[in-house]
Amino acid sequence: MKVLHQAQHFTAYQCDHSRAFVIDFGHKQVTFTFCQFLAFRHQVKNIDLSKHFSGENKHGFEIMVLCNRKHIFIFNTHECIALKDLLKGSFTMLELNSVLAASL
Amino acid sequence: MKDLVRQKLSIHVEVMDMLNKQIEKEAHSSSAYLAMASWCDHNALSYSAQFFYDQSLEERGHMMKIFRFVNDNGGTAYSPEVKNVIHDFKSLEEIYETALDQEISITQSIHNIVQKCRKLNDFTTENFLQWFVKEQMEEEQMMRRALELFDLMGTDGLGLKLLDERIPQIRESNLPD
Repeated sequence: MKVLHQAQHFTAYQCDHSRAFVIDFGHKQVTFTFCQFLAFRHQVKNIDLSKHFSGENKHGFEIMVLCNRKHIFIFNTHECIALKDLLKGSFTMLELNSVLAASL
Repeated sequence: MKDLVRQKLSIHVEVMDMLNKQIEKEAHSSSAYLAMASWCDHNALSYSAQFFYDQSLEERGHMMKIFRFVNDNGGTAYSPEVKNVIHDFKSLEEIYETALDQEISITQSIHNIVQKCRKLNDFTTENFLQWFVKEQMEEEQMMRRALELFDLMGTDGLGLKLLDERIPQIRESNLPD
């Protein structure tokens, strides 16, 4: 497995052999198909961090159900920030890899 | 490292995001036209009502076209949530003006995606969007033609009723020869 991006708390990998993506959440590793990885990116992008600070999201948690409801996670504000970083970094790396692959 | 993204996806991820935003806009546009149709129906402007019912369906058709394109090319299309649809209007003229503004905004948005496609060399999506570029040109022309009727006929007395009766012709005159 090759590291795509490492953020505080989490690391994303690409597995060429299984053509899948893996996120190490610290206590648990979850394997994503590309579609599931896209769906997770969409969920994370839609987290409105400003609500965590304005008091609108009083508890400061985000509940996420992943991979066709196989996993459920509860993330706090710190982890949400890290997730945004993780997904942004991972997709930037994937894009760079595509550019590199196309130029070879 | 294998290019898994390219294996799974024929379009660029950033473009996919923009297409999902476009899906939202088309859905909003469809709902806005439905609200306009309702207003016209309640104000006994049945030809304009029918015109906007048809427009609403057309916008939904556009939305579905993009929706299918994203999914067919390995991306994920998201079913849009429609909020903030305006139901109150001052006059029929205001409705057509709003409709033209809406079409201009959609055109601008399509052009922005085409621009992005060119920047990212996403020729697949650019080719797909060419149909929308032409379609938007026609939509804008149609709305302008409707507004020209207000300048020509006015809305005093029977004018508004006569104008409403002329509305189906603006669509017919938009059909290709």
